[in-house]
Amino acid sequence: MAIIKAQKTTARAAPLSETSVVGWLHKNLFSSVFNTLLTLVTLYVIYLTLSSVFIWGFWDATFVAENRRECFNNSLTGACWAGVIDWFDNIFYGRYPRDQIWRINFGGLLLALWMAPLWMGRVNGKVLIAVSVIAFYPFLAGYLFAGGSKNLFLQIMVTGAIVAFAINMANMITGLTRRVSLNVFVIQLFGKTSAAEKSQRNLLLLLAGLVYAAVFFWQMSWHVEVVNWTKWGGLFLTLVISGIGIASALPGGIILALGRRSKLPVVRVLSTGFIEIFRSVPLITVLFMATTMFPLFMPEGFVLNKLVQVIIAVVLFNACYMAETVRAGLQAIPKGQFEGAHTIGLGYWGTMGLVVMPQALKHMIPNIVGSFIGLLKDTTLVSIIGLYDILGMLRSISKDVPWIGLHKEPLIFGAILFFTLCFSMSKYSRHLEVKLSAGNKH
Amino acid sequence: MIIKTNSASLIAVAAAAMAVSGATAVSAAGTLDTVKERGHLRCQVGPPSPGFYNLDSEGNWYGLDVSICQAVAAAIFGSKDAVEFQSVSSQARFTALANGDSDMLSRTATWTMSRDTQLGIDFLPPIFYDGQGFTVRADSGITSALELKGAKVCVKTGSTSELNLTDFSRLHDLKISQVTFEDFNVRDDTYVNGGCDAVSNDKSSMAGNNAAFPVPADHIILPETLSKEPLAPAVRQGDSQWRDVVQWSIYTLITAEELGVTKANVDDMKANSTNPSVLRMLGGESNLNEGLGLETDWAYNIIKSVGNYGEIYDAYIGSGEQAIGIKRAGTLNALWTEGGLMYSPPMR
Repeated sequence: MAIIKAQKTTARAAPLSETSVVGWLHKNLFSSVFNTLLTLVTLYVIYLTLSSVFIWGFWDATFVAENRRECFNNSLTGACWAGVIDWFDNIFYGRYPRDQIWRINFGGLLLALWMAPLWMGRVNGKVLIAVSVIAFYPFLAGYLFAGGSKNLFLQIMVTGAIVAFAINMANMITGLTRRVSLNVFVIQLFGKTSAAEKSQRNLLLLLAGLVYAAVFFWQMSWHVEVVNWTKWGGLFLTLVISGIGIASALPGGIILALGRRSKLPVVRVLSTGFIEIFRSVPLITVLFMATTMFPLFMPEGFVLNKLVQVIIAVVLFNACYMAETVRAGLQAIPKGQFEGAHTIGLGYWGTMGLVVMPQALKHMIPNIVGSFIGLLKDTTLVSIIGLYDILGMLRSISKDVPWIGLHKEPLIFGAILFFTLCFSMSKYSRHLEVKLSAGNKH
Repeated sequence: MIIKTNSASLIAVAAAAMAVSGATAVSAAGTLDTVKERGHLRCQVGPPSPGFYNLDSEGNWYGLDVSICQAVAAAIFGSKDAVEFQSVSSQARFTALANGDSDMLSRTATWTMSRDTQLGIDFLPPIFYDGQGFTVRADSGITSALELKGAKVCVKTGSTSELNLTDFSRLHDLKISQVTFEDFNVRDDTYVNGGCDAVSNDKSSMAGNNAAFPVPADHIILPETLSKEPLAPAVRQGDSQWRDVVQWSIYTLITAEELGVTKANVDDMKANSTNPSVLRMLGGESNLNEGLGLETDWAYNIIKSVGNYGEIYDAYIGSGEQAIGIKRAGTLNALWTEGGLMYSPPMR
């Protein structure tokens, strides 16, 4: 006899072991005698470690002191964070003149504002924003940081940067408030929605031209004083070197990777040779070559400053690593994609730019971000050749007479700082992966 | 095969020629003129070393060697700020001087014969006489280095101290075992925590480091000195005029101390002194500047900007606020009139 229920059984609540904290603990930590023992032992070890770290780093630590002797007088066994705090300006800005530090902060703020729309779902034209950052921001920031007199080219680029930034901000505002991009908004404002496309475009160009001219005359009237690059340092210098490295390694790597896969023998051999040579030499050797050997081969009076030499070395070195990452991504794209692109009439650049690269780059995100994190950490090598980047500064604290011998605390502080930077990069890459849904395609 | 060898040697020759022409190009125009034209002096120091060149929390360099750089800048430009400090790693220090990157170096480099004769550089009068010694725990009962038989000694690797220690151990048959470290902070931590019986290093830096031990009074520096370490600035070989400028800037510091001219009284001395030596030095009645190619008040500018040798010593090595605390009286670094080695030829 079959038992058939006419109604649907009401759902029962999930068992207590699946929902409550106690249930979770029982299932995961105390499921058997052995596991219970393991849990207790582990908890004890964690307690021992954390409590001693807490006592050293916080409970017994000194945060306010004039010198290390005062720290010792306060507590012989605690950390002396006062030295690190006293050196904050050096750690973050290096030897940059203290009354000019606002320029670095302002430059950083500009970049953050400029990039902010990239994270906003409602704003249009993200590709243009990204391109404008790479094309214009370096000139504006470079002038802000270095200062001095502007030559004509720099004036043109700085003006371009200011205009691009203003347009970007206006675009963000119209995007957030009205969900339209700036150009549409302007056309509506002038009531030309029904005008011919050509006259619309002319209107936009005219307005942009007017703004550009106005900004150009305005920027001629101001300038900031020179700050020699030898005064750059600390986290600021680390971010400058790695920022330029990151911004140029990817394009450089793509070009080299395409070169290596090219059918033209000269291009292929040159790219391969370049990649193999730079990849086979340690970065520190490249840096030493760039800074000590290079001046020997240059004519008298030709002085390329050390910072530029270092940046060139870092960029070339990382472009080579990036090239191999990109090549791996390209090889993962099935042949059918290339053939498909050809059948719809795309040429080489069309195939690469519209079909292959977008797919390949998506899959390379974990590797690319891995390289970027490596690059950020590698830049600390410049402290060996005498640039006072963040590591150089942290190590110098132990040589400053008031803080002589203080070396653990600065390095721990540096480790925390680096962890924060690298971990947020890693988190961002996960976010990108999810957003481009690269993770669940295959 | 033959063609290959030829092209290889051709490249080598070309590279060598380029290197040589580069080197000669640097020395062709006088360094003094180059420096004057540039508007500032490029003075090489090293990664910070307490007492001699280190950074303060405001990002300024200070120390004995830093003051030497500033003295030279003051002699040429009348301002001690007309100097760019280049911090170069010790592996690259002499290359960076020889290839024209630095105009001079002042960075606790020991004047040795092989460096002076083989590296294309010239050493100038020593500004600090150092020597290697030992630090031990006061309660160990050791009072002489000769009692260190079979001891474990912490020492920094890659420096002359490692070699000196080996020599000393062999000479006196002490069978000292060395524990080497890359970083002096780690070396000192190991010693303080009982990892070795003694530390061996230059006495000057040991004094500075020991002052930073949790309880400095628990440690003593033994009287023996293992080595001679005259720390001297250096310039590129083959430019006598430039060498003279730097050399006499240093001598001015010593002479000024001998004559009692200080940063504070230099204006008064210049106006009212009746001592012919003082007047000659400060430019009142002589043409000492002509041979150097500097302004008449070059020596006045040096003393006005950085003080005399004794003042500099006090500020950074001796008893000043920023000093590492090594007493001067009775050491080689005292003036010759007080039994030391600080001696300047007459400025006349």
